[in-house]
Amino acid sequence: MSDPILLVENVEKSFGALRALGPISVSLKAGERLGVIGPNGSGKTTLINCLTGTLTPSAGEVWFLGRKVTDLAPHRRARMGLARSFQIPKPFTGMSVLENLLVPLDHLHDVADPRARAMEVLASVGLAGRAGHEAGGLTQLELRKLELARALAGRPKVLIADEAMAGLSDREIDDVLAILERLNESGVAVIMIEHIMHAVMRFSHRIICLETGRLIADGLPDAIANDPLVQKVYFGEQARH
Amino acid sequence: MFLDQFVNAIGTGVMLGSIYAALALGLAVTFGLLHIPNIAHPAFVVAGAYVVAVGNSCGFDPLLVALVALVPFYVAGLGFYEFYARLFERRGAADTMNALTLFFGVSLVVETALLIKFGTNQQSVSVAYVGQSLTIGLLSLPYRLLVPALLAPVMILLLWLYLRFTHAGIAIRAVAHDERALSVSGIDPRWIKRHAFGIAAATAVVAGAALIIIGPVDPFGGRLMIGRTFAVVVLAGMGSLPGTIAAGILIGVSESMVSAFASPSWAPAVAFSILLATLALRPEGLFGAHR
Repeated sequence: MSDPILLVENVEKSFGALRALGPISVSLKAGERLGVIGPNGSGKTTLINCLTGTLTPSAGEVWFLGRKVTDLAPHRRARMGLARSFQIPKPFTGMSVLENLLVPLDHLHDVADPRARAMEVLASVGLAGRAGHEAGGLTQLELRKLELARALAGRPKVLIADEAMAGLSDREIDDVLAILERLNESGVAVIMIEHIMHAVMRFSHRIICLETGRLIADGLPDAIANDPLVQKVYFGEQARH
Repeated sequence: MFLDQFVNAIGTGVMLGSIYAALALGLAVTFGLLHIPNIAHPAFVVAGAYVVAVGNSCGFDPLLVALVALVPFYVAGLGFYEFYARLFERRGAADTMNALTLFFGVSLVVETALLIKFGTNQQSVSVAYVGQSLTIGLLSLPYRLLVPALLAPVMILLLWLYLRFTHAGIAIRAVAHDERALSVSGIDPRWIKRHAFGIAAATAVVAGAALIIIGPVDPFGGRLMIGRTFAVVVLAGMGSLPGTIAAGILIGVSESMVSAFASPSWAPAVAFSILLATLALRPEGLFGAHR
């Protein structure tokens, strides 16, 4: 088995007297698809924010590609290959779709032709035809795709997709899942935080479930779906019967 | 007689408005794009005017002095932003009130420093073109207004091109929209904001050159500009550079017309009346985008 590329060791995050996360330990291997589920307030977003550097853990360590990154700024983690998309799309409005991708690409020294790379990424998510359009005028699905495209622009090693399918129709969900699957097949490990259970079950190799900031289950999708504790806290008591 | 007065009121208003845009340009960057209400910007402009006056007293043209002083003003801007960031942003306390308080203090420090060094006497520049006018038919354009007025479109065009076509410029526009999204794109938002603040401070010395070519300047001259420069930025639509010149000219022409056909004492109220009326009908400003 390969070593994990992303490792969370006994991470805790407290806001004053409130402990929002942990202690929690999670690992991610290269090319893995990890689903993260849990009810609202279970600590999923706090976990992501600790991974990406938006929040500094109160205790514990985060390792990425064999390097301790616990105190590393978000932009430095992003340059190492840790990308994320946001639950609520954050396009740079007032700029074109192409310019949205040029923002990260222009600052990467190993990209010889940022515009060509931007068009390549846009084509991979089906937005090439919208390159010249203003980002603020995109549909919800297109905004989700733009969010993914911007995260993918720098050829990340890990993508954290934070509810990338929220508010989409079944057909649109299939569309986004296909993008994530293609991306994963190219070697990118994906962490999917999602409330749409059929999507996360279908996509993930492994799923973890959080509840009140703690890890309550870690296993294969079928095992998680049948885990009594997961059913109780996530699906509700009725789902067990 | 009426036509003559009307044409010249328009001409003077356009020049005056263009100069307002030059004075407000730095604020369009710090307040309009970075959302930092740098109330000290007019004081920076006055400091720029003093630097130009000192250079001119050594025999150099004001615009040449301003060009040379761009670099030290840029560096000073980096320092002011870093000071602000360390005090507030890093502690998660960067709100409007803290920024206003800090930069109000900075403006007082700048004024006091100028007062200690130069006293209360007004400073001025001596250039060949001050006192002469360009006459086109009924229109008479004094060079002491025309030369500074031409600076604004040049500054705005250069800055617009920079924001549109350079890597750092695109990142400045991005940080204006979402700092967190920029940081997960691999770019340090603080570096970008510091750079933008430096650019804003650099525009102050050019605006200072424009100001002192128009007439003598004293250490407290910045106070008179605070309201008008903020009015230009908000009326323009936060961070819009074409809007900045349009808003400046709208206010300048309106003030000039009121001065010519009503009373000069009414002119200062015009900027704020236009601002209030526009915001009532179009809250995002003339060229601002819906948020």
